[in-house]
Amino acid sequence: MFLRRELAAVLVAALSLSAMPGTRAESTPAASREVFDTVVELIRSGDADMRPVAMEKVRKGLKGEAFTRELAEKVLPELKKPEDQAALLAALADRGDPAALPGVVAVAKGQAAPAVLTAAIRGVSALGGADELPLLMSLLAADGAIGEAARGALVAIRASDVSARLVQALGDAQRPSSDRVALVGILAERREAAALPALVTAAVDADAAVRAAAMKALGTLGGPAEVPGLVAGVLASQAGAERGDAERALVLVCTQNRDKESAAAAFLALFQVAEPATREALLPTLARVGGPAVMAIVNGLIASPDAAQRKLGLTALSRWPDATVKDQLLELVGKAADEEERRLLLGGLIRIAPLPDNGLDPAQKLALVEQTMKLCTRDEERSRLLERAAAIRTVETLRYVLPYVDQPALAEPACLSVVELAHHQKLRDGHKDEFVKALDKVLATTKNDEVAERANRYKIGKTWERKKKT
Amino acid sequence: MAFDIATLDAPFTALKAFNWGSDANAFKPIDAAVIAAHADATLRGELEKRFGQLLGDDSSRATKEYVCRKLAMIGTAASVPALAALLTSEDHSHMARFALERIAAPEAAEALRAALGKVQGALKIGMVSSLASRGDKASVSAIAGLLGGDAAIAAAAAEALGTLRTPEAAAALAGAKAEGGVAAAIIDARLACAEGFLAKGDRAAAKAIYESVNAAVGAEPKTHRERAVRVAAKRGLLASAE
Repeated sequence: MFLRRELAAVLVAALSLSAMPGTRAESTPAASREVFDTVVELIRSGDADMRPVAMEKVRKGLKGEAFTRELAEKVLPELKKPEDQAALLAALADRGDPAALPGVVAVAKGQAAPAVLTAAIRGVSALGGADELPLLMSLLAADGAIGEAARGALVAIRASDVSARLVQALGDAQRPSSDRVALVGILAERREAAALPALVTAAVDADAAVRAAAMKALGTLGGPAEVPGLVAGVLASQAGAERGDAERALVLVCTQNRDKESAAAAFLALFQVAEPATREALLPTLARVGGPAVMAIVNGLIASPDAAQRKLGLTALSRWPDATVKDQLLELVGKAADEEERRLLLGGLIRIAPLPDNGLDPAQKLALVEQTMKLCTRDEERSRLLERAAAIRTVETLRYVLPYVDQPALAEPACLSVVELAHHQKLRDGHKDEFVKALDKVLATTKNDEVAERANRYKIGKTWERKKKT
Repeated sequence: MAFDIATLDAPFTALKAFNWGSDANAFKPIDAAVIAAHADATLRGELEKRFGQLLGDDSSRATKEYVCRKLAMIGTAASVPALAALLTSEDHSHMARFALERIAAPEAAEALRAALGKVQGALKIGMVSSLASRGDKASVSAIAGLLGGDAAIAAAAAEALGTLRTPEAAAALAGAKAEGGVAAAIIDARLACAEGFLAKGDRAAAKAIYESVNAAVGAEPKTHRERAVRVAAKRGLLASAE
């Protein structure tokens, strides 16, 4: 303990030197040269203790381009240890003197160790400008840390025409798809409004990966002005996962954006002037945005004598974003003569009943779950409803779900729902005895190892880390 | 409105009889009087007189500690003799120093310096520490004279000289034998002096110390501490050279 205190005292003394007014005084060229030589000697020594001392001087001392050039062009190439090279590159980047750029670029173009190369790439980003974009873009396809460093460098690099050059590169269809996908992500991360038209163009690119990346970017960056582009992107997407993601991006802009009302109005306006086939393709997405005007359209379609139009209206209704349509769905499910229609509408009810932002309080949500359960005719539907019920985080939900653990066909989804509820410590601790009994029942029933592990952990007050989706 | 001193008679009687565990509320009005004394020289004088009497009589250690705490706030040269008389007492030296460290009058420093030659062991370390806390440059020579003696006292003296940071302090530290447990304290103090010189713009003096410490630790330090000292010295050299 005494030794640690002593060391701390010495290090505090050392560190405080950099903050002293006396150390800021102008120095003579001869004195600066002496310090420079000492710093170079320390760097070349490869002494790990002295490396931070020397690098601090590179970062904040030794003023002048001549020193910068000497460090970058003479000292840097002669260093043998990768850790010394990487440290000097990082220090030169922090020094911020563009005079170091040629030396740093030379390392970035060479065959250095990965740690050195990534430090050089960051240096190019800190010191360079648009002229360095070709070099950084050429490294985008590299594996692992180097490709990632190049990507980070392209996000961070600052100069007046960088974004314009990146947009130009994105428009080059001859570039590899992976590079163009990366460029879309880079432009999105740079968050420059000037890049939005390029992203809109990329949203209808011939390359599906580029389209998907552009739609994802527009989902977070876009606003009302990008809605036509997003709609075009949805229509250009292939049915399946790409369509689902594209629709999600458009819905995000119309429901989560700061200017969401204008975005939703722009979407509706486009929908209303679209061709019938286009309207058919867009209606399910428009329904996820919701709103009275859309509801009027949906109700008109449901009332249509044309079966196809009615199905389109029911599909839209089943995708409604909140519980305002619950009574209509309950009524339509009850009256449905067609099994496909019944499943579609029931699916909508199962989805909206426990939604966190559906406009109902927890008791109303649980009541809707109970009503929906009565309308289910297949175990598959009941299972899905039981699993989703865990989103209503109340002890009443636990009491509702628990008896289903005794039904063999529904036991596993009910067990999963119980552990999901138990995952929430406040709820679990507030009703400890009840949860312990429920978890014991889960442990006696489930055949799922993960559910059993979770139940055991929650019983003893531990948490459980959800695996990240890949 | 002037403070009615007569209202303090009962509280002072209670304070005289005070001991740890008994009711401290009985003399609480004295706290208010101490606050009022900051703007009332007459009251301050009266309080110092009464406090001085308590320090000199057979009142308890608890009473004397309370008094020392209050004199640390309002004490002047007038209180120094009563406090100085306690400096050689094992029981009361610490609290007397607590007050004297904070009394701005030069008499307080003189009392601490005078006591330095009269006490030994922990009490001497206490005097050294209080003089350094006061920034009493006049005591540098007396403190420097302790560098060659008992290791604990020498280490405290080194630390005090590192706090005082005068050229005389630096010279005394440079000439001291850095051996055993004192070595670390001397090196730390020398680095502190160098830091002080650098802050004042005296690069040459700072550089001389850093060079000396750097040379003393050698090119191949063996322990973590030696390595840390070398880093400190090297950084200091760079800071003082540029």
